[in-house]
Amino acid sequence: MAQITLNIFRFDEAVDTVPHRDAVTVDIPETTTVLDALETAKAEVDGSISFRRSCRSAICGSCSMNINGVTGLACKTPCNTVMDENGVVVVDPMPNFQPMKDLVVHMDPFWDKYSRLKPYLQPKDADSAHDRERRVSPDDMKKLVDVANCIMCATCYALCPVVSVDPAFAGPAAIAYAYRFIEDVRDGQRTERIAQISEDYLWLCAHCYACSYCPKHVDPNDRIIDVKRAAIKDRVMMNERGPRHALVVGKTIKQTGMLAETEVIQGTIGRFNVRGLLKVAPLGLRMAAKGKMPPPFVKPIPKVDEVRTIFETLEVPVS
Amino acid sequence: MSATLLPEDLPLDAHRRTHSAATKRYGFFPGCVAKESCRELFNSTMLLAERLNIELIELTAASCCGASVINDVNRDVARVLNARTYAQAEALGLDDVITICSTCTGHMRAANKELRDSEGLMDHANAILRKFGAKYEGTVTVRHLLWLLIDDIGLDALRSMVVRPLNGLKVAPFYGCHIIRPESVNGWESARRPHSLEDLIEAIGGEPVDYAGKTRCCGFHIQLEKENVAADMVGQNMRMAADHGAEAVITPCPLCHLALDGYQADSAARWGRTDLPTFHLPQLVAFALGVPADKLGLNKHLIDPRNVLVERDLIA
Repeated sequence: MAQITLNIFRFDEAVDTVPHRDAVTVDIPETTTVLDALETAKAEVDGSISFRRSCRSAICGSCSMNINGVTGLACKTPCNTVMDENGVVVVDPMPNFQPMKDLVVHMDPFWDKYSRLKPYLQPKDADSAHDRERRVSPDDMKKLVDVANCIMCATCYALCPVVSVDPAFAGPAAIAYAYRFIEDVRDGQRTERIAQISEDYLWLCAHCYACSYCPKHVDPNDRIIDVKRAAIKDRVMMNERGPRHALVVGKTIKQTGMLAETEVIQGTIGRFNVRGLLKVAPLGLRMAAKGKMPPPFVKPIPKVDEVRTIFETLEVPVS
Repeated sequence: MSATLLPEDLPLDAHRRTHSAATKRYGFFPGCVAKESCRELFNSTMLLAERLNIELIELTAASCCGASVINDVNRDVARVLNARTYAQAEALGLDDVITICSTCTGHMRAANKELRDSEGLMDHANAILRKFGAKYEGTVTVRHLLWLLIDDIGLDALRSMVVRPLNGLKVAPFYGCHIIRPESVNGWESARRPHSLEDLIEAIGGEPVDYAGKTRCCGFHIQLEKENVAADMVGQNMRMAADHGAEAVITPCPLCHLALDGYQADSAARWGRTDLPTFHLPQLVAFALGVPADKLGLNKHLIDPRNVLVERDLIA
């Protein structure tokens, strides 16, 4: 047995204007989970401590919270992997959500973004056109099973730095779930779904891999890349800055072997988009004043033909 | 606490003791930004290598690593481009490729992992490389200069080389996503609780500042997608650093550097003025090891880092 002290965020939106913290100490084996420690604290010390939980085995997705500043499932986190030398574990509600009571948050923005996807199959044709169930090959199904493991715990959404500054961003889970229908061979709304998720800022993903902490290994980070590739393959909303950026990066690497910064900026914003270019001009001028401007043209690397051979063999789309 | 070396017979990984480490001759992949808008990073890296008595052999015909963006258009191209780079290192007899950019580190390691874990993908890459007479055997390890400093030079040795300790300068570490995440690709230290930069700051006489923003994203990769988002991400992180007493920031990534140094002016409206000067990793280490400040390109930064060095009596 060990003494575990939970340092808990306490707040009740019904009565409190500011949160406070309580330290609650419990005697439990140190290999048990943070959720076990919370359950013990609630049962033995303070029945008013509030948190969501149900299955206690990483299936229901209820108990995601911040544990020492990193979001994760309390039921999947043993105390001895997170406690400090004094046995203290700091628990807070998930960030990027409005706290409701203690560790319970308002999940509405997460569910809103999910329901915008129309997260159900919209078949290509009527059921009556089939005399048996619609079949999916094992290879086609393999693409979908990882995403189907998503338990909607919102860990990725809470970890996402883009959501934290721009709540219009769909967030990792919604994009991963869009992928689940975009790549479903039975679905008839592929183009509409790609357009919808592009409008919800698919291309605003910052490539930070924070969502690689997914407790169910859905890896939304990789699924987001898959959806972007689908958008480029099907040429959906190609005039957005995201796809233009990806394609012009490819173009400069193919031409010079290097990512040519100046051309990438112009190609992403648009060479004739005067207003857009003026917006980035102040930073450009500040950099120029320090002699820090990237060169207007980049000299190709030695043997750049080899790079072009790679691009041509793989038929990489570039602008 | 420094990271420990694993036995040599383990699979090629982040902590591998390379042949290059034994000979102190390393393959060097500077990446695009250190050759374009952050020349001061390239120059200070070479000056640091001189102090450390190691040889960085630039892979001059190497291409861009793909910068994470190229993955959005094709799943194979970054892997094959990097296989071409590794083949160049092998041809020079080098089994270690040192990077000075977090994004290069993560994406080159991801490509290398795919190549080595799957015979099919290695054969696929080599079938294309064969068209111009190249072949990658799979012997290369990709590591960041930060890892080289800690694993090969060692914190104790570094400490003994310091001639100009930082006088307790409060430095906020800013890791940059791709040097720590995903853990399955990098794995050199915990992505959730890394401490290599803190160890390094301490070794050169600074005081590391702990704040939640140190492992968060700078927003560089989406700076052009939508206005203010990247600036807000910079502002949020730098606000946290400043509130925890930071006087300066250190980063192993030039992309983070461009964002942190460039956008603090724009983020001030929402997050308040922070104006934290940002050092490239080799700049601050080289400074502590005695390289004259005027050789480190500090005058190229938008937020001039020389002011805090003056305040701490480190330069006149």
